[in-house]
Amino acid sequence: MSETDPRQDRLLRLNAALDDELDAAHRVELERELESDPQLRASLRRLSAVREAVRRHGALEPAPATLRNAVAAIGRSKANWRRVPLPLAAAIVAGIVIGAAAESLLFSSRATDPVAVAVVADFARAAVSDRQYDVASSDRHTVKPWLVAHAPLGAEVADLADKGYPLAGGRITVVGATPLPTLVYQRREHWIALTELPLSLGDRASEARDETLHGFHMVRWTDRERAYVAVSDIDADELSAFAAAFRAAAGTGGGEAR
Amino acid sequence: MISDAARRRYQAIVPPHVDDAYALARWLSGNPADAEDIVQDAALRALNALETANVERPRAWFLRIVRNTALTWMAKYRSKSLAFAGDADDLAAIETVDFAADSESPEAILIAAEDGERVRRALASLPPPLREALVLREINGLAYREIAEATETPIGTVMSRLARGRAALAKILEEKR
Repeated sequence: MSETDPRQDRLLRLNAALDDELDAAHRVELERELESDPQLRASLRRLSAVREAVRRHGALEPAPATLRNAVAAIGRSKANWRRVPLPLAAAIVAGIVIGAAAESLLFSSRATDPVAVAVVADFARAAVSDRQYDVASSDRHTVKPWLVAHAPLGAEVADLADKGYPLAGGRITVVGATPLPTLVYQRREHWIALTELPLSLGDRASEARDETLHGFHMVRWTDRERAYVAVSDIDADELSAFAAAFRAAAGTGGGEAR
Repeated sequence: MISDAARRRYQAIVPPHVDDAYALARWLSGNPADAEDIVQDAALRALNALETANVERPRAWFLRIVRNTALTWMAKYRSKSLAFAGDADDLAAIETVDFAADSESPEAILIAAEDGERVRRALASLPPPLREALVLREINGLAYREIAEATETPIGTVMSRLARGRAALAKILEEKR
């Protein structure tokens, strides 16, 4: 506090009094001054008004639930956390739920088809880890050999870039203990994961059928030699359009597979 | 790796103050989306710091991290919109704030104080060091020594900033419009 400017010094004490930070001796002294000085009283009223205004209108809404959950999750995690965007943090929570659901469903006789559960869980995991593919390439001549080497199926790879679904890569999805080839296509900023299944795991119906599980859309169909399930977070109609495009391009709409 | 002890300290210190952290980050960044990013970043920093930190005043300690994270974050992503505490020009600007324009009319403030949007605009327009001192005091409810800890400034400076901040705010709210 400045000794050279009594007015400043007094104002600092007035603020401190307002903030309840003044010691007893200074408080008594200030109260005496206030009694005899109307201008000082006006200053105090003015400062109180400012303080009330800030308290009343400066308090904003509480932290959003997404942030609250993300902050709580940071302390719980056993993994080494790196910074994740909030929607992803929400997705992690969803992923945990899906994981738990997958486990219970797999052992339940009335469960959704374990294939559906597994591919959706796989899709959620890929979204959360931001690792969509094990092999990244838009070239099917790169993706196919890799998939074939890792999963014992035919791995039909259609080039759909000109239809608006560029190929991003491929990964292996495990259903039960069976590794299956999955193609990852891109649709704007979304992903579409297309998993190829042996006929034994496929749908009986050859017509494409769509379903929803935990908010993800799925389209399933079966051809002469293999079955497919496509999973995505794009909407059901768009995903059906993708399935139709794939079937047409791969010549598997009932015709022969390449 | 983070130890279990650090995680326990984190759970005791950080989640209970997330609202305070968010309010501070919002006032420092001026935007809710940035504030969420800042608080999440700050929480991660806090977790890592709790491996070794000795925390006496948890709220002030965490808000200091939030404030420093906001500074770094704003400098990195919003460098054009924020000149922050410690900036020489900024501090010079504070010196020019009329310390005590003793108007006789608290009534004018009382009327302006009814207008929430006007109060928020006025607060947002203050130089950041004055704004953050006021937010920490009035919105976060910190005591002087906690504000001193959170902003890493001496108590005398905190007192002076609060007084200047309130005087500047009073002046803005008294202006005829």
